[in-house]
Amino acid sequence: MDGPGGTTGLRHELLRRKPVGSHAHEGEHVVGGDLQRSIGTFQLTMFGVGATIGTGIFFVMSSAVPEAGPAVVLAFVMAGIAAGLAAICYAEMASSVPVSGSTYSYAYATLGEIVAMGVAACLLLEYGVSTAAVAVGWSGYLNEALRNLTGIELPHEILAAPWDAEPGIINLPAVVLVALCAILLIRGASESARVNAIMVVIKLTVLAMFIVIAFTAFDSNHFADFAPFGFAGVATAAGTIFFSFIGLDAVSTAGDEVKDPQRTMPRALIAALLIVITFYVLVAIAAVGTQPWQDFESQTEAGLARILEAVTGNTVWGTILALGAVISIFSVTLVTLYGQTRILFAMGRDGMLPQMFARVSPRTQTPVQNTIIVAIVVAILAAIVPLDYLIDVVSIGTLTAFIVVSLGVIILRYREPNLPRAFKVPGFPVTPILSILACAYILASLHWYTWLIFAGWVAVFLIFYMLYGRRHSALGEVEGGQS
Amino acid sequence: MTVVVGYIPHRGGRGALDLGLKLAHARGEAMAVVTVVPRQWTTPSLAKIDAEYAEYARQVGEAAEQQAREYLTDTSVTVETSYRTATGRSVSSALVDAVREVDGSTLVIGSSADGPEGRIVTGSTAEKLLHSAPIPLAISPRGYRSTAADGFTRLTCAFSDSPSSVRTVAHAVELAKVLGTPLRVASFGVRHATMYPPEVGVTAEDSVLDSWATQAAEAQRKLVADGIIDGSTPCVIGTGTGWVESVSSIDWQRDELLAVGSSATGPIARVFLGSRAGKLIRASPVPVVVLPA
Repeated sequence: MDGPGGTTGLRHELLRRKPVGSHAHEGEHVVGGDLQRSIGTFQLTMFGVGATIGTGIFFVMSSAVPEAGPAVVLAFVMAGIAAGLAAICYAEMASSVPVSGSTYSYAYATLGEIVAMGVAACLLLEYGVSTAAVAVGWSGYLNEALRNLTGIELPHEILAAPWDAEPGIINLPAVVLVALCAILLIRGASESARVNAIMVVIKLTVLAMFIVIAFTAFDSNHFADFAPFGFAGVATAAGTIFFSFIGLDAVSTAGDEVKDPQRTMPRALIAALLIVITFYVLVAIAAVGTQPWQDFESQTEAGLARILEAVTGNTVWGTILALGAVISIFSVTLVTLYGQTRILFAMGRDGMLPQMFARVSPRTQTPVQNTIIVAIVVAILAAIVPLDYLIDVVSIGTLTAFIVVSLGVIILRYREPNLPRAFKVPGFPVTPILSILACAYILASLHWYTWLIFAGWVAVFLIFYMLYGRRHSALGEVEGGQS
Repeated sequence: MTVVVGYIPHRGGRGALDLGLKLAHARGEAMAVVTVVPRQWTTPSLAKIDAEYAEYARQVGEAAEQQAREYLTDTSVTVETSYRTATGRSVSSALVDAVREVDGSTLVIGSSADGPEGRIVTGSTAEKLLHSAPIPLAISPRGYRSTAADGFTRLTCAFSDSPSSVRTVAHAVELAKVLGTPLRVASFGVRHATMYPPEVGVTAEDSVLDSWATQAAEAQRKLVADGIIDGSTPCVIGTGTGWVESVSSIDWQRDELLAVGSSATGPIARVFLGSRAGKLIRASPVPVVVLPA
């Protein structure tokens, strides 16, 4: 098998799929894995809202409004619909593979190794880079809260990236946040379902407060020049905003434990989507109503808190919002960083990455090396890359992963029509096709340099696969024994 | 050498006495029952307050000895037993001093009274000794009763795949020989709680635990390969969602003893990550002996 297998051998390697049985084998030491279907609509909705809100809305306005003008409101709806469609497809994909995991695991089981690697490249953006982006956003709110409460003004040099509009040296609070989360993960800490629900309440409360206060200063004249960049601008902004909808797929990952998934899953998805879109659109309308759209560009730090301060003329409400953001974004960073380490862990187990990613420390019984490597890379990104670059790269990765999932649903329906699926996409094949079109439309409008970065990244990843993963694949070793 | 029992009447004293007797019998050593009594005021006092106090201390010691003797009357084994009182700045330092005086091989204490029956509950004295005992420290679970005649049926050594843990296994091999019991090596894994919202699925931690178990089994095989234990020594792996569940996922015999190692820096593996060994001790359904590094 190691010899020159020719094109058939290579083709086989690239398209080999991880048998479902080998996923089940992983349950050897599973405890409490009796698959109790215990999660209902409400809790599932909380997963969706909890994973989604907090990744973007607190700081996406400064990037998105300059791209679309007041029509950014439409961009939120557009991005939300695309994310919702993709999430529904995601739910079918998740339910057709009897293993709970990330898109990577699903793609490996259904679409083959090379696709799984491509998806993994996207997921590193969706999780790793988004952790960096979220940490940078957190840094802004922390600084705002700190200044308002204590009067301490941190020097700009340690608050901004070297390539920011106002260059600094390093974004230190973002680095500290990533380090703190990494320590928690190494210690094996986790966020319980209850804490997640509390976080949801905190986020929704501060956003509701923002909406109410900002509406007191509403001026419809700010909507006069509604779409200064036309529809193209709206689509570009939707691409940026898409960042704030990632996490919605968290609804689909709990597949095995969901009560009556065929009913619960779409309900929870739609409920989560409606809550999130409603809040986002209201926040957008309220924010744009307070000031000319041109003013947003300069509010890269703690944007929503700054608006409240401008509206009320004092710092009280802005500080409350900033504190709410500091607490809830902390939890988002923890969860996304965790997600990234566990995706790489799964890849390490599959032999796609060096073994150290799947190595568990005997002392803490957590993947320590993995967590440290991820934290260092994320911290470097957060320290020196400006927020808007990070956001666009996260969006492009997530959109691509969503397209792959939607495509996968269609392919699987034809290739394995009889596979048991706990949840089936309603309106097949229209829904997945719409999902692909919506994501592709938004993708097409992203900046050329975002595409360049993305293409380069995926290429690097696939080259790494050709040189390393293809030869070290755990699946290949199993097959090698057979042929 | 001598097995030293730190004896406090009533409060867990009986469990310590039973475990101490059993250890002394199995080791073929004498037993010293030490009661720590209040220290006297060292400044001379004309009012003779100190004399009254000394009298009180003496009574405490005598009462303890009497009770311990009573307990030991219904044993069927003969172990040379001596009784003594000790004083010191604290109970733990008094016991450590007593160990030095009688050339102790093992220090035995009981669990404190506020905790679940059948579990090891470490009070302040135990906590201090877990950080300072110069010799193996044995702790009986709350409500522990045993006759020394049965002896120990098995010694299980907790093993965690670290260099100090390998040394612990080597110590346990020696201890098993001394006690005349078969040895078993056990590694305990805990499944960390699911992270919510479950962005990468609800079973991510299952595969972490699964990897851990694979590594632990490898490490156990390496113990055999390195000649630390022989191939016939049974090796088991316990897993659970918490330490109690993990420890109770493997079978335990009634007259078993669990050996746990301490880290090289302190008597017990206490790092900033929280004490795994301490959690293990508190989850144990059988008496534990903590071996110095």
